Amino acid sequence: MKRNIPLAICLGMGILMMVQFFVPHPISVGFYDLTTKWVRIVSAFALVLGVGSFVMYHTEKLRRRRAGWLYSIVALVAAAVSTVVGLAWGVKQTGPLQNYIFTPLLVPLNSSMFAILAFYMASAAYRAFRARTKESALLLIAAFIVMLGMVPIGAAIWGKLPDLAEWILSVPNMAAKRAITFGVALGGIATALKVILGIERGWLGGGKQ
Amino acid sequence: MKFFHYLLKIDRRIIYIVMGLLVTLPLVKPLGLGVTSGPRAARLFHAVDSIPAGKTLLISVDFDPASMPELYPMLTALMRHAFAKDLKVLLCGLWPTGMGLAIKAATEIPPEYEKKYGEDVVYLGYKTGVDAVILGMGENIKNVYPIDYSGRPLDSLPMMHSVQRLRDISMIVALSAGTPGYSDWLAYAQSRYGMRVGTGLTAVSAADAYPFLQSGQLTGLLAGMKGAAEYEVLIQKSGYSKAYMPAVAAMDSQSLAHVVIMLLVIIGNIAYFATRKRGA
Repeated sequence: MKRNIPLAICLGMGILMMVQFFVPHPISVGFYDLTTKWVRIVSAFALVLGVGSFVMYHTEKLRRRRAGWLYSIVALVAAAVSTVVGLAWGVKQTGPLQNYIFTPLLVPLNSSMFAILAFYMASAAYRAFRARTKESALLLIAAFIVMLGMVPIGAAIWGKLPDLAEWILSVPNMAAKRAITFGVALGGIATALKVILGIERGWLGGGKQ
Repeated sequence: MKFFHYLLKIDRRIIYIVMGLLVTLPLVKPLGLGVTSGPRAARLFHAVDSIPAGKTLLISVDFDPASMPELYPMLTALMRHAFAKDLKVLLCGLWPTGMGLAIKAATEIPPEYEKKYGEDVVYLGYKTGVDAVILGMGENIKNVYPIDYSGRPLDSLPMMHSVQRLRDISMIVALSAGTPGYSDWLAYAQSRYGMRVGTGLTAVSAADAYPFLQSGQLTGLLAGMKGAAEYEVLIQKSGYSKAYMPAVAAMDSQSLAHVVIMLLVIIGNIAYFATRKRGA
């Protein structure tokens, strides 16, 4: 029963949601409106699970004094302070969450983390990007053309470079991307059908029948 | 020979210093290389430009401060364009960390055009649920967002009286740094409600969106900081804005950063092949 009832709900809802997409009748629209509300409510539970998992992971790390436990203190304090400030003063543009936490702390920290990538990329490209084979040489040439063509200095070097970069992006890149997109979409449809028809049962979790 | 071996083992801190200097210097003393607009940015510009005055443009702020240098200039340029054309701007977001950035834009840009919050611009805030949020907005925005980001009921905001559902909006522009983002607006708002959807993306994820642009599902695309710079140039040339153009200013730095990386790759390859031949 533990498995059959969820499988039956999944089958019924899966078929209903597929059918309602093509039926503009008010009953179908009402059903659709109701189910999207359910999804929003269920999604909100993910927040509770996420916060619970976050707190449990870091308190455990702290208790056992695992490597980097000091950072767990920072994470827990930051989460607690943000939550208290957000709940107490809200998210107004003049509130403390915006003025003391988001703008002076989160924005520069988050931007710095991303900006550091430029340095790592430069160092990694210098050490690892080698034209060892014909394929990697081709990749290197394409990368150079796109990198130069996408910035103003490329047009300053040679006026046709941006057009060449555009061709690489619009023709060979697009063909590959489209193939990947079709593959992913077909895979998604197949997986959805397997879940709806009860062939794929991984989402039910473990345990005996 | 020793020189090539030295090159292969060069201290990474030297690379960091060279990179840091060449990124910083153009910000202090711009090279003035200039930016020309490409076809993708022009398509988005013309799509927004063709919206009749008084209609609504929805901008989804689906990015965080990490992508701020690339995507925030797009947000401000789009808002300036919309206000100059006398459009209403509705902001929302699928990323919780984008809230502060949307609030910043909703606070700073409207006064430049004497626009008021509630009448010309509204920020709905962040709501969890992604597909359910977009689909819900398609039926009734107030069901999903009964209040705006600061707790004001939508019924109390004059602009929202004429904006009940997605079909009351002329166009959506999703500024996305990843997932959730433009792909969700395409899958639900464009396919189900026939909405026109444009997007602004980080340069690294722009190539993923090209097939949707070619198929016509996307109305326009701003790719990375260059896309933002192109849009800034377009609105300035059209006389819609005289504001400082942060993305255009940063393009010199990006140009030099690309050149540095390319030179490093070339030097690294020369040293690699020189040492390999001698070794063989």
